[in-house]
Amino acid sequence: MLLQSHELSISFGGLTAVDRLSLTVEKGMILGIIGPNGSGKTTFFNLVTGVYAPDSGKVIFDGKNITGLRPHRIAQFGIGRTFQIPAPFSKMTVLQNVMVGTFIHASTMKAAKEKAWEILEMVRLDEKANQQVVNVTLEDRKRLELARALATEPTLLLLDEAMAGLTTVEVKAAIELIQSLHTRGLTIIVVEHVMEVILSLCHRVVVLNYGRKIAEGAPDQIVNNQEVIRAYLGEHYSARR
Amino acid sequence: MSVVAERLKWNSASLLWRWSPLALISLIALVIPWIVSPLWIRISTEILMWAGLAQSWNIIGGYTGYLCFGHGAFFGLGAYVTGITMIHLGWPFGFGLLISGILAGLLAAVIGYPTLRLRGAYFAIATWAFGEMIRQIATILEITGGAFGMQLPAFLNLPYFYYVTLLITVIVYLTTYLLLERARFGYKLLAIREHEEAAEMVGIDTVTIKIKAFALSAFFPGILGGVYAYWVTYIHPDSVLGAQITDFMVVMAFLGGIGSLWGPFLGAFVVQLINRYLWLVWGEGTFYLIIIGAAICAVVLFIPNGIIGLMEARIFSPREALKQLRRIVKW
Repeated sequence: MLLQSHELSISFGGLTAVDRLSLTVEKGMILGIIGPNGSGKTTFFNLVTGVYAPDSGKVIFDGKNITGLRPHRIAQFGIGRTFQIPAPFSKMTVLQNVMVGTFIHASTMKAAKEKAWEILEMVRLDEKANQQVVNVTLEDRKRLELARALATEPTLLLLDEAMAGLTTVEVKAAIELIQSLHTRGLTIIVVEHVMEVILSLCHRVVVLNYGRKIAEGAPDQIVNNQEVIRAYLGEHYSARR
Repeated sequence: MSVVAERLKWNSASLLWRWSPLALISLIALVIPWIVSPLWIRISTEILMWAGLAQSWNIIGGYTGYLCFGHGAFFGLGAYVTGITMIHLGWPFGFGLLISGILAGLLAAVIGYPTLRLRGAYFAIATWAFGEMIRQIATILEITGGAFGMQLPAFLNLPYFYYVTLLITVIVYLTTYLLLERARFGYKLLAIREHEEAAEMVGIDTVTIKIKAFALSAFFPGILGGVYAYWVTYIHPDSVLGAQITDFMVVMAFLGGIGSLWGPFLGAFVVQLINRYLWLVWGEGTFYLIIIGAAICAVVLFIPNGIIGLMEARIFSPREALKQLRRIVKW
């Protein structure tokens, strides 16, 4: 088991954003997290990566208790993460963005540059390496977001709506890319609203509502779960299937 | 004709194009004290000093994106520490300078630890308050001579101070080039400036890196303050801890272009020349400050990226300049 959250809770003011959430992620699996807006998906990522310290509960990664550590420490342990809204280093080139990610392991500029090129080729951004970030498209920014996370050579990758705003064709390419990362041995958690992505990628799905886990299981089971349909998917979706 | 050979030729040409202005500037800088009048040695020394100060500010304000409005405090601290070590402890000038720089850097680290959590206006206000605090301390302490100030041993040798200032400013620019433009440290600073949360998320210890940058950006003003004190021989809270010290560092960096290697140098050159010219014309008044203020407003409004930004956008060509002008007029 690579990641385990145990009874994780955090509240902001009177709002409990994540409520006693326990889940486990096995090595080599792709876990999907779905749920309505405000159900605590991104907050969960923020708890795992150390942006917030939980009010109670524990996060265990690779056998180590990482609860409440600073984000850069957690990144050094091997958790990579992309942001829902791409957060590039704007006044830098695509290559430089990825190089910053490689610094976690690369101790020279030369090594950083080589590693960054390698990753840019992998996500097929190498042709745009020397462009300024402000000049690249949304799809490429999403790829860059992924490339920068991969540059830290994570064992666990958290993808926060990596496909929101992409066209159908772009989504297809992104799914292929994520699958290729998975075959390289990465463990991945995806937060996503696009159900097609969840269905074609994930081995297991966790459904959140009001910060609580309301269902967990294989994708097929989830889409037929009455509570999930009520809370999130809607009668329309289940009727269409 | 192979492509490689072509590219090599182009590269060596561009290399020459790139380095020849620098070689020329270096040569001029080295011979200035031999060819100009004492007044101009003074003005040249001032330009160099401000170029060093503006670049130091640029390390935290430009590269890291934390607008410090108390940077003059490190300059003043350096001036007083050098004075005190020379007068009361009898230490040699060079040693006093080193201590000044180190103390300024340490003070920055101590101040930075709590304040570098703040961003934008909050950091600016906190550092401004810190600068005021240091000025008040210098005014009430006995060892600093209070409001009357302090007299250092006189050493009236203009070329000496010119060369010392030149040496330190060259070190400032070399450090900036090697550490900020060409190394991981500088990239990390840019990453913090552009998106601090994302920088933290790729494993950058943002707190430590920011404190290092702040300490470095305070170290050099500490030294330059010491040089200034020994040079002018008489210092008091208004002359080395006045608000205008910080103001000019910020203004010069902005005019030249923040976050760039040569911006602060260009800014210091232009502002200090105008400054001195107006001072020569109007004498010992403060009227010239009004003109400088108006010019600064214009810069912030019309060329937010500074002189360097203009040069990079290549709007120095007449046609482009005209286009810009038209845009401005319409605006």
